[in-house]
Amino acid sequence: MNKIKSVIIIILILGFSSCDDDFLDVTPSNSGDASTSIQTLADANVMLTGIMSRMTSSSYYGRNFIIYADAKGGDLTTFSMGRGLDGLYSFNHSPTSGSYSGFWNSIYYSILQANNLIVNIEKLEAEGAEANFDDIKGQALTARALMYFDLVRIYGKPYSYDKESYGVPNVLEPLDALAQPLRATVADNYNQIITDLKDAQPLLSKSKNNGYLNYYANLALQARVYLNMEQYPDALNAAQEIIDSEVYSLYSNSEWVDSWTGQFGSESIFELAVLPSEADLGNSSLSVYLRRAGHQSSSAIGQFIASDYYLNRLGEDPDDVRFGVLSYDEVSPTHLGASYKYSGDTSLSGDGKSTATAVNIKVIRLSEIYLIAAEAAFHTDKELAADYLNEIRKRAPNLAPATAGTISIDMILDEKSKELFTEGQRFFDMLRLDKDITFNDDLGGVPISTRDKTIDRSFYKTILPISQEEINANPEIGSQQNPGY
Amino acid sequence: MKVRLTGFLTLLMLFLVHLSFAQGKIVTGTVTDDSQLPLPGVNVIIQGASRGAVTDFDGKYSLEVAEGQVLRFTSMGFEDQLITVGASNVINVSLRESATALDEVFVVAYGTATKESYTGSAAVVKNSDIQDVPTASFQDALVGKAPGVNVTKGSGQAGSTTSIQIRGIGSMNASTQPLYVIDGVPVSSGNTGQLSGSILVTNNIMNTLNPNDIESITILKDAAASALYGSRAANGVVMITTKRGKKGEPRITIKSSTGFSPSWATDNYEPASTQENVNYLYRVFHDYNTSNGRDEATANADALRRLNVKFNKHGYYFETNGIGVSENLMIKGMTDGLVNREGKYYDWEDAYFRTAVNQTQDISVSGATEKTNYYSSISYSKDEGRVKINENERISGRINLEQKIGKYIEFSAKVNVAQTELSGFNDSRNLSSNYYEQTRNLLWGLYWPTDYKTGEPWTARYGSLAQNNVYYDKEWENSSRTLRVSAIEGLKVNILPELNVQTLFSYDNIETKDHLYYSRLHYNGQGLGTVDEMSTTTRSLVSSTTLNYAKDFGAHRLDFLAGFEAEKNQTDYIRASGKDLPSSNLHTVATAGDTDASAYYWGNNMMSILSRLEYSFDNKYYVSGSFRRDGSSKLGPDARWGNFWSVGGSWNMSKEAFLEDVDAISNLSLRASYGVNGTLPPSNFGWRSLTGYTAKYMETAGGVLSNVADESLSWETNYSTDVALEFGLFKNRLYGTIEYFSRDSKDLLQSVPISRITGFSSTLKNIGSIRNKGLELSLGGDIIRSNDITWSASVNASFVDSKVLELSEGADIIWVNDGDATAQYIYREGESTLAFYGYEYAGVDPENGKSRYYVNDENDPQAGSFLLNGRGATYNYRDANYTIIGDGIPDVFGGINTQVKYKSFSLGLDFIYKIGGKLYDGAERDVADDGYYWERIRSQYAYDNMWTEQNPSGYLPKVRGTDLTDAIQKSGRHIYDASFLRLKNIRLNYDLPSTLINQIGFENVRLYVVGTNLLTFSKYKNADPEVNQFAARGWQTPFMKNYTFGIELTL
Repeated sequence: MNKIKSVIIIILILGFSSCDDDFLDVTPSNSGDASTSIQTLADANVMLTGIMSRMTSSSYYGRNFIIYADAKGGDLTTFSMGRGLDGLYSFNHSPTSGSYSGFWNSIYYSILQANNLIVNIEKLEAEGAEANFDDIKGQALTARALMYFDLVRIYGKPYSYDKESYGVPNVLEPLDALAQPLRATVADNYNQIITDLKDAQPLLSKSKNNGYLNYYANLALQARVYLNMEQYPDALNAAQEIIDSEVYSLYSNSEWVDSWTGQFGSESIFELAVLPSEADLGNSSLSVYLRRAGHQSSSAIGQFIASDYYLNRLGEDPDDVRFGVLSYDEVSPTHLGASYKYSGDTSLSGDGKSTATAVNIKVIRLSEIYLIAAEAAFHTDKELAADYLNEIRKRAPNLAPATAGTISIDMILDEKSKELFTEGQRFFDMLRLDKDITFNDDLGGVPISTRDKTIDRSFYKTILPISQEEINANPEIGSQQNPGY
Repeated sequence: MKVRLTGFLTLLMLFLVHLSFAQGKIVTGTVTDDSQLPLPGVNVIIQGASRGAVTDFDGKYSLEVAEGQVLRFTSMGFEDQLITVGASNVINVSLRESATALDEVFVVAYGTATKESYTGSAAVVKNSDIQDVPTASFQDALVGKAPGVNVTKGSGQAGSTTSIQIRGIGSMNASTQPLYVIDGVPVSSGNTGQLSGSILVTNNIMNTLNPNDIESITILKDAAASALYGSRAANGVVMITTKRGKKGEPRITIKSSTGFSPSWATDNYEPASTQENVNYLYRVFHDYNTSNGRDEATANADALRRLNVKFNKHGYYFETNGIGVSENLMIKGMTDGLVNREGKYYDWEDAYFRTAVNQTQDISVSGATEKTNYYSSISYSKDEGRVKINENERISGRINLEQKIGKYIEFSAKVNVAQTELSGFNDSRNLSSNYYEQTRNLLWGLYWPTDYKTGEPWTARYGSLAQNNVYYDKEWENSSRTLRVSAIEGLKVNILPELNVQTLFSYDNIETKDHLYYSRLHYNGQGLGTVDEMSTTTRSLVSSTTLNYAKDFGAHRLDFLAGFEAEKNQTDYIRASGKDLPSSNLHTVATAGDTDASAYYWGNNMMSILSRLEYSFDNKYYVSGSFRRDGSSKLGPDARWGNFWSVGGSWNMSKEAFLEDVDAISNLSLRASYGVNGTLPPSNFGWRSLTGYTAKYMETAGGVLSNVADESLSWETNYSTDVALEFGLFKNRLYGTIEYFSRDSKDLLQSVPISRITGFSSTLKNIGSIRNKGLELSLGGDIIRSNDITWSASVNASFVDSKVLELSEGADIIWVNDGDATAQYIYREGESTLAFYGYEYAGVDPENGKSRYYVNDENDPQAGSFLLNGRGATYNYRDANYTIIGDGIPDVFGGINTQVKYKSFSLGLDFIYKIGGKLYDGAERDVADDGYYWERIRSQYAYDNMWTEQNPSGYLPKVRGTDLTDAIQKSGRHIYDASFLRLKNIRLNYDLPSTLINQIGFENVRLYVVGTNLLTFSKYKNADPEVNQFAARGWQTPFMKNYTFGIELTL
């Protein structure tokens, strides 16, 4: 009987030994509790890193946002449909299919991260935290301004066209899961953008901060935003402060081509880092989307190539240094339509990392600031405008410099196209300035039934629809759908 | 020893009897079961005389009887047999296992039961019902075997997972799969490892269990049966019991089988000929030109030019006689290369697929004495897919040991070690590497794996986006190796005859190692070569202790069970990745120029108390009640604990006086139950709002909010009702069950779509509700029962009605079935849980070949550009509205099983069927598109049935060169009737005559042949109608026909 007793005791011990309250409290090993994850300066830094990381996502600066403005702006065309993102080119958009809601989703996700960081810093500051959160907060505010600026340009009409029309919901703090925010006006969005930029400006460090935002990046963004708002003196002031600071310098003609093989060059005011084990999209990267079909990888199917309009523009001077990042495409061995800005160079050297597809995204660089300065100055001082323009225009050595007499908005715009090709700018400039956009559909003979060959900003599809998915979850916003959809 | 003693006493008695009845004689014989194995312990009774004998270890008996007397042979679990004594002194008897034996013991939750006493709904599938069927997992063999149990498999890829849905679809977001319990211990099921993330290959954990080690499977269906498993039992429970030894001499069984799969089970989108496809593509290009206003001559020239651009590089050029759209093209060979390919087309089907071979070798040794019972086995099996490189291998060993220690203690140990190795292949709509899609939609006979000019391998992507895998298959590899070690130690102390304490302690370790390698030449190798090694190890510890009390008080009987259980599951994940591999011979991370790693773990714990009380009176009335309280770490502190319970009763009417004398009725009983059980959320940490740190940037950790959670998140609750009538007529020659069930699943976890402005797409809430109700019928009978020949048949049918009752704020939820989005569905209140959602297709306009759609405008049924059958219709799908276009749930499904035995031969046929319900053909958008893809091939049926001026009755639209996207829309065009009847298995058995084999030392030798998927009857002919749990067909590898030949030797 003793044996039985001891066996029963063992059984009871085995059976009940794990009877413990903590037993049911299992925590994840790769995540922390959201409510307590920002307590210190180091925590805040980690969250700021997270924001930058989100901005490199494929549906934002990592790829789609860059393609967006070039595919829609007429500088790019496609040789064959169905290769990927061709809906952007063909404007094949509706709320239910081809809504490209990835922009909406991924930018609002990034905004959430910025909001979360800003709100938590303000909370810590209110509680009297000793650490200095200024620079982090300034970066978060500037990043939020950039995100709203990008969103409102995708979903709202240009400020210069109809600023009282719908922009995007203006959300400044993390929302409850069941919140259903509605759209603000374009003007409201721009006001918030300026407020954020102005609030951030004094908080930011003036030193270079590779891969992150600083005081000059904030100014550069102000210059861009003011240009869109047609507040030219403000745009000019911001641009001039950057130029005059001499923190950044333009690439010389001999440096220009090689600048793409390097990271954080002298022109880079805001550059997002893309590393092989981080935001590198490999076979679906910008590098692969823009290079020649079949170049080094049979997965490279040549999504987009330069339109003849662009090549003719750049060809005004066959010696233009900017031909240096172009190579031939599948059209013919002489059609230099493949862009290698995101491959380092035309032999796929990359920008100093182990893969040629992990190439940094130059979000704002000094050349653009010169062109903004030129355009902003144009309205008051044509000579100054010509000076700024010529600093860039000289990259086509055989073209005559602009003068106060010859300079025009179109000339500045053409220069911007040449300089910032495949850098995500063209379409927004064309809409802002109410230009016609003509597409080179005939190059590949692609049948396009969803837009005309030439459009302008009165075409309803120049802004994207609010996706049906959003409307399903947030029905009220359905009544604020962009007209035409 | 006891048996021997009884035998001795019997003999003694017989001797005494012999003295008084001198006219009798001694009859001897052996009693065996169906498979000629001797049966010990069989009672042999002389009818009308209260004496008899019991068979010994070797199934032998000896009895003094008189000629003309009748012997009755009875044994538990077997049908009684009556034999009149004739002139012979030897009477050998083979007893048939009884399908309806009321006293047969089967395994249920925390114990055993007999059919007579059980108040719950359970289906029992015995080893003999599923043996010999060549499946990697026992789950596949269950198809059609039990009513209410829907077994489906999405893919014919070797080693992939199987879905079992018991009594409908009980959840939207959490699992719809049952809980699996092996030898009393809950285990994990489904997919293991990480390859499904990279190449969409599923790896079924259940493959680690050798089907030959299984004694029986009990499927618990209603609450009375399953509520003792509480918060995980809403979708039913599948209980697997592994084999034990049988009393007697050690028995050695050797089983070996080899099978072949030379073809698919059905046609699968067989492509049109190369000639037809060239004509088709020409037609598209020609139309592109004429649609843009060009004349026929220009169109002809441009179409030829385009064909030449596409195919010159592969060694072909084209000419036409005329310039019309319907030209028959002349396909000519280029003469400027090493070879002239004129008249020759490459056979990709042959290059990519093979006759798959499967084989199994099993050896088991088992036996039992009074004190010890043991079973051990070792098994090897290999299962090839028809897709080259797809293979699944298993080596497993098992030892089951039970030992009585002294008078009171029983000890048991069940140890299983198994290793499976799966080398998979992409099973999804990946144009680069899905063989199946490539041969049907992408690879022209005009493409060759070599360059016609140089003879070098063709390495560029083909224009249809396919890759040349004849070349690339040498440049990559993948494998998934799972090692599972599980041990269940049990101890039972019989304190009193009516009281015992039992404890089980189980350790289960499943380690899956995934390997994925791409050389620098491979298109996925990033020009550098990459290799990933991933290890996923799940450790489960379960401790369960129960107290069991059972006692008879006269006609009253009471059973009581109380227990405590704790479970801990933790999964450790480690990944090491390498890039930039220096040598094509070295496929390891160690050699890589650039390495990267990650490791973390996750898991969940659970704690429970449980109890059950059963009472019966006079073997006529039975009631039972159970209660379980579960606490789970998957839920927040305030919502953590839940109570689950059930009540059930049954009434054995045939034992009532008013029925006892009705000869026709051998059994009639009524049972009913009601109860509550649950389903836990799938995510371990779903109730916590989290910050994730995977957003690495510039080699620094980055944090992001990763979800927005509800802390009060709870389990889903399932309320089920069950009423059943069981009957056996004419001495159980005809038997069956009629069963009604209703299952209300409430507080369903719903991924409620939220505004993306919040940053997230959805949040989990306990909101929805679903009702599954239906009828299950099973009917079986012995059509012929004679000594030489028996013929039995059974049929089962399940009628399930599955409806969404309630959704968050009544809002529809549109969802897709997988990453491929093969089909689109909607959850809408009052509608089926598998309702297809899309445009309602109204067929082709015979006048012009255009697709027509009903507009389905809610406000104006006649809105549209024209009226068709009185309804508003349009040619442009963009003007139409999505609506429900079909229901994927069949009206009825089930199985028909029949077996004929003649002497030593037996032939079994297992049919499965499905009547009603639709399937969505998601691959049709590719094989029958309207000219959108400019270098794809078209299926034969699609070519033959496309509308042309010459074929105005074609039911598929006119193909155009105008980029019509109709075919790729979710529309009724791809909905087909899913009804089918399939001969799932045909099994032929032959037992060699014992006179022959006994001499060479064998107890039994059995030869068998099994054919799988040999016949299929269906309305849907384009591909296999046996579809996955979502009633959708995509580009998953289809099922194969299989012929397996086997031999089983028993020593």
